[in-house]
Amino acid sequence: MTVPLGAYIAVSAVLFFLGAAGVLVRRNAVVILMCVELMLNASNLALVAFARRAGQLGAGSGLDQRGSVFVVFVFVIAAAEVAVGLAIILAAYRNRPTVNVDDIHEMKG
Amino acid sequence: MFDFLEPLFFALFALGIIGAGAAVVLLRRITAQALLMALTFACMAGMFLLLGAETIALFQVLIYVGAITILILFGVMFTKQEERAYGLFFQKQAPLATGLAVIVALPVVILAFSFKDPATPSARGSDLIPLATSLFTDYAFPFEVASVLLLAALVGAIVLVKRDDQ
Repeated sequence: MTVPLGAYIAVSAVLFFLGAAGVLVRRNAVVILMCVELMLNASNLALVAFARRAGQLGAGSGLDQRGSVFVVFVFVIAAAEVAVGLAIILAAYRNRPTVNVDDIHEMKG
Repeated sequence: MFDFLEPLFFALFALGIIGAGAAVVLLRRITAQALLMALTFACMAGMFLLLGAETIALFQVLIYVGAITILILFGVMFTKQEERAYGLFFQKQAPLATGLAVIVALPVVILAFSFKDPATPSARGSDLIPLATSLFTDYAFPFEVASVLLLAALVGAIVLVKRDDQ
């Protein structure tokens, strides 16, 4: 009795949609950043699940580890994104002390 | 003999991921949200272990549960948090939004449940050596580009936060 691949993909999809809904609905910039991280992590789960299905994981496989390598790059992007994102939030907070994205509308046409 | 363990742990981790993820989206207490995000990431590390990706699970714990959660908590600490109602966007267009969500989500759900075959059991042994070999041979150039990207992010974060009057 093993867990089917579709179950992992379903969990990944549910977490991705939760994160997307959070990005769209929440107005707090820090919470939006958290939800973006959730979406990135959901994509990692799908990548690892498909990599296992392709038989890439493990010491015995002589295959190209592109699934896992892609996950490592997603980690790098996520770390860079949260660092720069928080810096932008803090820089905007200095000009206008709020983290509510509805209040930051200087560029609104 | 221990075949029931994989579905058991899968159910546990899936519950943790979806429950804590929903709480991150729905709650109004920012510190609790950040810690529940850490719980989501920890359960995700468990999922990676179930899938046989030990190295990825290690990176997940180090980078997500450790570094990113702490960074987010610093962001919470440095800003004043006042929470108000959800944006007006979905309050006016709820039927439209529901229809759009169903249109987007339905193909994904059908696709997800079309993979009925069990994920093939991974080979015994760590995935560290194949991953490292792949990363430093076939993907050495993207790896170097990623290091430049991290450097750019580091410099960019410092420049953005630095005060001008000093």
